[in-house]
Amino acid sequence: MTRATPPSSRRDGFSVGFYKLLFMAPTILVLALVVAGPLLYSLWLSLHEYIITYGMGDLIWFENYTLMMSDEFAGVSWVTMKLTVIVVVLEFLIAFGLALLLNQPWLKMRNFYLVVLMLPILMTPVAVALMFRLMFNPNLGIINWVLAQVGIPEQGWFGDPDLALATVVFVDIWNETSLMLIMLYAGLKSLPQDPVEAARIDGASSWQILWHVTLPMLKPVILVTLLIRMITALKSYDLIYMLTQGGPGKVTETISFYAYRLGFRFLDIGQAAAVSFILLAAVVALTVLLLRIMKEN
Amino acid sequence: MQPSLALRLLTHFILGFCSLVVLLPLLWVLRTSFADKVVAYQLPPEIFFTPTLENYRVILSEMNFGTFFLNSLVISLVSTLLAVVIGALAAYAIDRYQAGGKAMPVIILATQMMPPIVLVIPFFLIFKDIGLTDSHLGLIITYLAFNLPYVVWLLMSFMKRVPRELDEAALIDGCTPFSAFIRIIVPALLPGIGAATILSFVLSWNEFLFALMLSGNESKTLPVAISSLVTQQGTAIGAVSAATILAMLPMAVLYFAMRRFLVSGLNMGAVKG
Repeated sequence: MTRATPPSSRRDGFSVGFYKLLFMAPTILVLALVVAGPLLYSLWLSLHEYIITYGMGDLIWFENYTLMMSDEFAGVSWVTMKLTVIVVVLEFLIAFGLALLLNQPWLKMRNFYLVVLMLPILMTPVAVALMFRLMFNPNLGIINWVLAQVGIPEQGWFGDPDLALATVVFVDIWNETSLMLIMLYAGLKSLPQDPVEAARIDGASSWQILWHVTLPMLKPVILVTLLIRMITALKSYDLIYMLTQGGPGKVTETISFYAYRLGFRFLDIGQAAAVSFILLAAVVALTVLLLRIMKEN
Repeated sequence: MQPSLALRLLTHFILGFCSLVVLLPLLWVLRTSFADKVVAYQLPPEIFFTPTLENYRVILSEMNFGTFFLNSLVISLVSTLLAVVIGALAAYAIDRYQAGGKAMPVIILATQMMPPIVLVIPFFLIFKDIGLTDSHLGLIITYLAFNLPYVVWLLMSFMKRVPRELDEAALIDGCTPFSAFIRIIVPALLPGIGAATILSFVLSWNEFLFALMLSGNESKTLPVAISSLVTQQGTAIGAVSAATILAMLPMAVLYFAMRRFLVSGLNMGAVKG
């Protein structure tokens, strides 16, 4: 269906095309100058030998990218994958469970729960991280003290190689689950009620309704939620920087933090740019894959 | 149909437990921010003590947090204002005139998929070359570009609900597309503009990586200032708590002002059904 183009204006004599350009120009200009330009520049940087203190060196093409083969890169990739999959899966399960509970028609105090559970979404990640650093502090933190009251021995949390990643996951869940909860709850609310009613009249149990009616109808919302959360999880940087700086050792070092460390601690801009592009490629590939899955559904 | 009592209790137990997990850390930090040095370190913790504003005085007067707060506010507000004005124009052109064709919305959104670390490296070098490091303007431009895609998308979705007949009638009556935008679209789009303003402000206020790399003493934002407390004052629990509360303050005000709107927006589907 083609819509009639709005009539061109007569009063000032400019064509619609002129206005289109006028309205779009600021957006295009900003995105080209501030996003596309630096992105291409960074690609160019990644093809050079470039140590900050020496300035840009020789064009070495893809040599910086050979870093991909290193054990170190394999390590940070593994951490990034683990962290992304764990937080996305756990946050999804928690958020979906809570959304289902909040959606029960008989529920009292629904608005109270909604207001509280949505609270973390507005919190500055840096402040959230700091809050939990204080509470998880092995000697001074309240959490070890509370655990001691019930007989659980003192833990090192962020300093313990076996616990650090799990503790980061906990903080991430605290901080990020609200976003998924809001999206899934809004999705549940927007579903038509007739199929559910029909299934109920036909004698389906609550579980059957959830599995055979609600879930299939909610599939598009679920996929979009997972896609968005997966991309933001791969991008995330703030929490790692604030909580562990990738440590202890490298057990919580993600690709983003690794690129930061290469560029701004080891001052190797060329390698840092190369690593960041590998991450970008992974994000793009994942997005394309998920979009394809969505289309098939 | 009411489910069994046990099931209802279980539901409230789960929701109540999760609410506590959210609330307790916040209340704990709030409490610690009013504690003096002795109380802040005391374990077992003292619940009832004489609150003091000493921590707030220290971070505001001795550590300059007032300035950082102001930096954050100026940078977030200006970049948000620009993003909403520019974004509203683009959303109008895309929705009503199909500017840039079908691919345009996707291209705009694609710029937002990028991991920030990809851009912070070239930004760092470019800003140094053109002298934008440690300036308000530098961060304003950066946040403008990052928030613009979200703003355009959000406003496009609101634009679809403004009936085309409204602005088409204005055009036929002799309005230019620009005056139709100002007189018809903007007033009809106000709820969307409100939502976009909040989204953009929150994103700018909370941004950390670029602020960390691109700001200095002149333009340091609150998240960066707070992050530096960790290394300098690793154990100044009271001051750190006060700074954390200070950073959450505008968000909390915004949240409670918007609470009713947010919840009713979420429950809208129920009214329909």
